[in-house]
Amino acid sequence: MDIRELQGYANFFMTIFLVIMLYGYIIHLYRSEKKGESDYEKFGNIALDDEIDSKPIVPNPKTMNENEEQNK
Amino acid sequence: MFHWLEKNPFFFSVGVFLVIAFAGLVEILPNFAEASRPVVGLKPYTVLELAGKEVYKKDACIACHSQLIRPFKSETDRYGQVSLSGEYAYDRPFLWGSKRTGPDLHRVGNYRTTDWHENHMWDPTSVVPQSIMPAYKHMFTNIADIETAYAEAVTVKNVFATPYGDEFQGTRAAWEAHKPKVLADAKLITADMKNKDVKDAVEAGNIPEIVALIAYMNRLK
Amino acid sequence: MQSNAALEYDYSVAKLFTYTTILFGFLGMLLGTLIAAQMAFPELNYMLGEYGTFSRLRPVHTNTVIFGFTLSGVFATFYYVGQRVLKVSMAESKFLMFVGKLHFWLYFVGALVATVSLLLGYSQSKEYAQYEWPIDIVIVLIWVAWGTSLFGLIGIRREKSLYISMWYYIATFLGIAMLYLFNNMSVPTYFATEGLGNFMHSVSMYSGTNDALVQWWYGHNAVAFGFTVPIVAMIYYFLPKESGQAIYSYKLSLLSFWGLMFVYLWAGSHHLLYSTVPDWMQTMGSVFSIILILPSWGSAINMLLTMKGEWNQLTENPLIKFMVLASTFYMLSTLEGPIQAIKSVNAIAHFTDWIPGHVHDGVLGWVVFMIMAALFHMAPRMFKREIYSKSLMEKQFWLQTTAVVLYFTSMWIAGITQGMMWRAVDEYGNLMYSFIDTVAVLHPYYAIRALSGVLYLTGFLMFAYNMIKTMTVSRELTQEPQFKSPMA
Repeated sequence: MDIRELQGYANFFMTIFLVIMLYGYIIHLYRSEKKGESDYEKFGNIALDDEIDSKPIVPNPKTMNENEEQNK
Repeated sequence: MFHWLEKNPFFFSVGVFLVIAFAGLVEILPNFAEASRPVVGLKPYTVLELAGKEVYKKDACIACHSQLIRPFKSETDRYGQVSLSGEYAYDRPFLWGSKRTGPDLHRVGNYRTTDWHENHMWDPTSVVPQSIMPAYKHMFTNIADIETAYAEAVTVKNVFATPYGDEFQGTRAAWEAHKPKVLADAKLITADMKNKDVKDAVEAGNIPEIVALIAYMNRLK
Repeated sequence: MQSNAALEYDYSVAKLFTYTTILFGFLGMLLGTLIAAQMAFPELNYMLGEYGTFSRLRPVHTNTVIFGFTLSGVFATFYYVGQRVLKVSMAESKFLMFVGKLHFWLYFVGALVATVSLLLGYSQSKEYAQYEWPIDIVIVLIWVAWGTSLFGLIGIRREKSLYISMWYYIATFLGIAMLYLFNNMSVPTYFATEGLGNFMHSVSMYSGTNDALVQWWYGHNAVAFGFTVPIVAMIYYFLPKESGQAIYSYKLSLLSFWGLMFVYLWAGSHHLLYSTVPDWMQTMGSVFSIILILPSWGSAINMLLTMKGEWNQLTENPLIKFMVLASTFYMLSTLEGPIQAIKSVNAIAHFTDWIPGHVHDGVLGWVVFMIMAALFHMAPRMFKREIYSKSLMEKQFWLQTTAVVLYFTSMWIAGITQGMMWRAVDEYGNLMYSFIDTVAVLHPYYAIRALSGVLYLTGFLMFAYNMIKTMTVSRELTQEPQFKSPMA
């Protein structure tokens, strides 16, 4: 098998793989929302409510402690 | 899995990188060896021609001139035989260009001569009345950097195995030994030129940019 | 709560980059207007001797607008948006503050040196990658500094989830890093010999067709990751924020992101149709260019739908107008690009003025409009003053819109005219026109293009004036505006 043939196969399967991933992602997005596991649209509010002291949508546990201290 | 990716910047970045690098890997890498094979009989550029290529790069001739004849009858009629990959094997960088404000130059050496170039670079409208190309009079006084061109020849010989002769060595002594050959090449060009200052400069051992550029133009065939 | 009240977003680095955005924008567009005029009136080539010819100035123009104006804008908005969507202030980390300042000064000094080097003729002659190796090294350092800021801020974030804009900034960082490094691989000749010749000179690692492939893989995608990805990052933040409307569909924005990442990089070879690169690669370039419409329009439509039910804002707020026009031009040029990538269209369009026409409806209509809107939005928040003049903004908007329309219409006509004349044959199959005929016929279009340059530049000066007045004399604000930017 020469390099061109290998290149062709690599390209073909990788493309298929990525397309499956992309569709998987679409299904994941809508299913997890339907099942109520997560709500993607709420992330849109990150831009709207972006004051430094406003409540994060998903707080980062690593920086939360110091934040809590500051809040006291 | 996707959920996790959205919240882990590191792995997210790795994912983005893989997706964007994929095209490059498949498209470019495997073709490398094949596409760099020269056509039969192709000679590497002489030092004077390389110096001319430097002038071509320095004044960004590429902004208006292409060096790529596409496989259409209208192009082969106008510019000559269609361009082949192997003809560019020693072009570092490639100079295909992306805009033809002026005509293609890939085979300009077939139909333009030294004296035509001399007149044209001094005043383009003297040979092409409607030309919008600027005159490049500074090329008649600026001295071409042939030492750098020599250094380039030695570099491509050592690093990329471009077939230059054994006399091409990276030492100053080797360069001093090669210099008269470059001057001799330059005199072949100035023999067909009329500008007195340029001729005098070459006699005195300095090669104006225009001479190097014309050597490069004549080589494009 | 008291201690937290003192904590504010720190815009000092964002402000610095705002100044350079205005400075380099002015310089780049001034040069652009000059070289456009040179094509219509060649006498203009002789104003600065050797340094004033079209060919010497064109790389300076492209590099100043790409790496000067656009990158400054990207950095300015990043140092603004980054803090806000991650809910963390630069003031919280002395280290990040230092890196941010270092990033700016490296960038500013580097940009000046780089511009001088191009004027002197140090050029690798690869489009948008002209800088010689010592400057490339400085650019790498600048990029590392930005990366440190980017991931540093992400590291100390309070908002765990990364907003879509951050995705795009990360992609910009990674994409340009990869492309720039690979395309600029070269061997300095000074070190490959015993110190012969010029220190600055280098020779490309790739030759001929390979070099072409690497270059256009870079050239096309540098556009993607410099002119599209970070600008999308901006609009995903500034349009919702200015209008008070959340993105129409956040899910669609995520999908478009991955779609864009995957498809964009394949499209580079459409610059090399009918060249000596292998056929399958050319076809691939064409096909993926067409597919590229999907993710591009996904983002653009998402933006327009964000304004659903709020179209009255378009008449009330000129900033919304700027951004809606920007997304419209984004749609236009992402449709135009794929059309040009169809092989038979490309046969006519390639090498003609249609290509600069396409580039400029993208950059003038989309990139510059979006960056100006972003800076207008940031100014009242950064300088705590209201925008100096609303009516000046309105006038600027219409002036520049006219300019863009003049630019692309004249270049469309010029390009197609020239492309058709090059291939026109008489009844015996001989070429009908000599090359110079096809140049002379373009004079009126070049003149119109120069005029559009003057109009656009005037508009940009109005923007600069408005911004400077906003920074210095405009009415002070007591409270940060939440959505709509206050303007007098």
